[in-house]
Amino acid sequence: MALSLQFPVSTPRQASLEISKLTPGCLASSFSLRSPSTSSLHSLGTSSGIATAVKKSSRRWRAAKTVAMAAAANEVSNRKVLIVNTNSGGHAVIGFWLAKDLVAAGHEVTVMTVGEESSDKMKKPPFSRFSELRDLGVSTVWGDPKDVGAAVGGKSFHAVLDNNGKDLDAVKPVVDWAKSQGVEQFLFISSAGIYKTSDEPPHVEGDPVKVDAGHVGVEDYISKSAFKFWSSFRPQYMTGSGNNKDCEEWFFDRIVRDKPVPIPSPGIQVTNIAHVSDLSSMITLAIGKPSASNATIFNAVSDHAVTFDGLVRLCARAAAKEAKIVHYDAKALGIDARKAFPFRNMHFYAEPRAAKEKLGWTSSTNLSEALKERYEEYIKIGRDKKDIKFEIDDTILSKVG
Amino acid sequence: MQATDRTRLRTQAVRRVSIVTTASSDTPAKKILMMGGTRFIGVYLARLLVKAGHEVTLFTRGKTPVTQKIASETDQEYAEYSSKVKHIQGDRQDFDGMKSKIASAGFEIVYDINGREAVEVEPIIDAIPSLKQYIYCSSAGVYLKSDLLPHFEVDATDPKSRHKGKLDTEALLQSKGVPWTSIRPVYIYGPLNYNPVEEWFFHRLKAGRPIPIPNSGLQITQLGHVKDLADAFVRVLDNPTAFGQVYNISGAKYVTFAGIARACAKAGGFPTPELVHYNPKDFDFGKKKSFPLRDQHFFTSIEKAKNDLGWSPKYGLVDGLTDSYNLDFGLGTFRKAADFSTDDMILEKLGIKVAVPA
Repeated sequence: MALSLQFPVSTPRQASLEISKLTPGCLASSFSLRSPSTSSLHSLGTSSGIATAVKKSSRRWRAAKTVAMAAAANEVSNRKVLIVNTNSGGHAVIGFWLAKDLVAAGHEVTVMTVGEESSDKMKKPPFSRFSELRDLGVSTVWGDPKDVGAAVGGKSFHAVLDNNGKDLDAVKPVVDWAKSQGVEQFLFISSAGIYKTSDEPPHVEGDPVKVDAGHVGVEDYISKSAFKFWSSFRPQYMTGSGNNKDCEEWFFDRIVRDKPVPIPSPGIQVTNIAHVSDLSSMITLAIGKPSASNATIFNAVSDHAVTFDGLVRLCARAAAKEAKIVHYDAKALGIDARKAFPFRNMHFYAEPRAAKEKLGWTSSTNLSEALKERYEEYIKIGRDKKDIKFEIDDTILSKVG
Repeated sequence: MQATDRTRLRTQAVRRVSIVTTASSDTPAKKILMMGGTRFIGVYLARLLVKAGHEVTLFTRGKTPVTQKIASETDQEYAEYSSKVKHIQGDRQDFDGMKSKIASAGFEIVYDINGREAVEVEPIIDAIPSLKQYIYCSSAGVYLKSDLLPHFEVDATDPKSRHKGKLDTEALLQSKGVPWTSIRPVYIYGPLNYNPVEEWFFHRLKAGRPIPIPNSGLQITQLGHVKDLADAFVRVLDNPTAFGQVYNISGAKYVTFAGIARACAKAGGFPTPELVHYNPKDFDFGKKKSFPLRDQHFFTSIEKAKNDLGWSPKYGLVDGLTDSYNLDFGLGTFRKAADFSTDDMILEKLGIKVAVPA
């Protein structure tokens, strides 16, 4: 089956990767209909008559292509996967996208969200959109990590991902339960925040980590639990539809109201903001290639750094507005940068080298595009009209003069 | 993501994945013409090529001795090398003269280490119609400044950059139909470096002086050891995967300006240096450079070379700087004498006194 598809890719070389070898089944499963964005879709006919409808240049398309191509060398298929998902915070959105990518890759998915279905937390995205998961055949349950068995009933799983705990207290019960159930593959969402600071960016897998960090204890415990396969994923910051925690919104809040954007000096600090589909595609590949991903730590990030000032510029461009950056010395002004600014006030930049080398994964994050999409959503939900107090900003700006 | 010249580069870049190719021992002996080869990169590269059995001819003006023994080789190794490597004396700016000297010599491969402008390269290609490959030392300086880093080979280049000539040369090579490969190093370092990168820091460390760093010192750049660069140059030789390709070649990790100062101190066994931060805009240094590196983030991804060539840098930063120190500055040799005049301007303005050793 020959497909004459033209799609922009972040690495044109990857595009050539024998797309003609994709089987109809593989293609159909990868380019499934999804609805988070209702922007214009058009269908592509293939010679096998499978109608797929995705926006050609969309990141979902590219992510799906990534999965499809690398997955041409999958080791396993039709896995039963359990995602134990946090009920709040920056990582919540990972489970949402991952569930969809896993279904598209032909796996059977259960998402167990920590806590209760009736909790107020479930009114926020991505939980408020879980019907989208159920429409795809994902089983959504609620429960306590200390008793996963009760939440999932008698179900057995090939692979379990803990996207909830930050330390052994929270994750050990899940690990132990999985072990007792004969789960083959255990995966963990850790954090790139555990890397020790260094004069030599980027953080790469294998670099020293802060031994006292909770996530480190968990990774260690998992690695010693004699699973047939295990992997750990260390994310940084994420953007994407269904996000539970503000990321780029902090910038939009100011830009759309023509307020100056206070940035801790010097503004050239670099960070890594991935579209969440980079993480979901990476983890999906790891589940499809358990041997390749076994006993491996993966930085779950995009493959580009962006500076703080650069991010302001990109957000401004997404909003089609000008932005005014005001640099300030947090320390000198007695400002707690952690409260004043959404990212760590330092170089914090990891690269996804293990995923590229071991899984054939490629990043599909296009930050400009992602921010444009997120800005559209920002306006759509009326957040630009929201009355926001900028107390810390005002303090900073008055001190800077 | 920044604008990319996707159409042009897609044609170049489309090909199969990851073949680890050609250690030089597998390549049949070639007749190689090297433009340059007596100062820095070529010193190491020519040695590797001769050792691999190729016939290497250096084309230089003869201002620098054609061969000189380097600190890391034995007398025997030097004797071998110097007896085998050949030389043509000439001026590459004298296009007709150069052509007559290199035509009909049966050269199969050109390594152009010191070419700057496209006009210098065209006559060489014209003089050698049966040329099998033109391997060019370009520069990562061609990349357009971006808020998103690292620079990948597919990224936009800057037609206004100081290295425009390198870009023009790459375009010329593409247009001439000869198989070509271009290497884009970032900052090169190592023993015999004539660009005062590590040397600049070593001078200050040796003198026990504080190290003036422009602005925050958080600027991120990338240093690549010359021997790793030479290795990469060897791996593209007669390598069809590399035809029509550009490769970023530098270190596996990046480094901040402050980090370079600290790494140089470790390399030379100096105590942790005092760093002094200043705003270059507050000064008029005239024609002098107050710091050896461009005041911006500047680093590249080397993953394409790793995937295509099976190459990876052998030197980490501190190891590599130690190698440079032990084989060059630490032996008392350097290219540029210490000049602390801009340092003194900075220190004076900031009210910092330097303790002068007795």
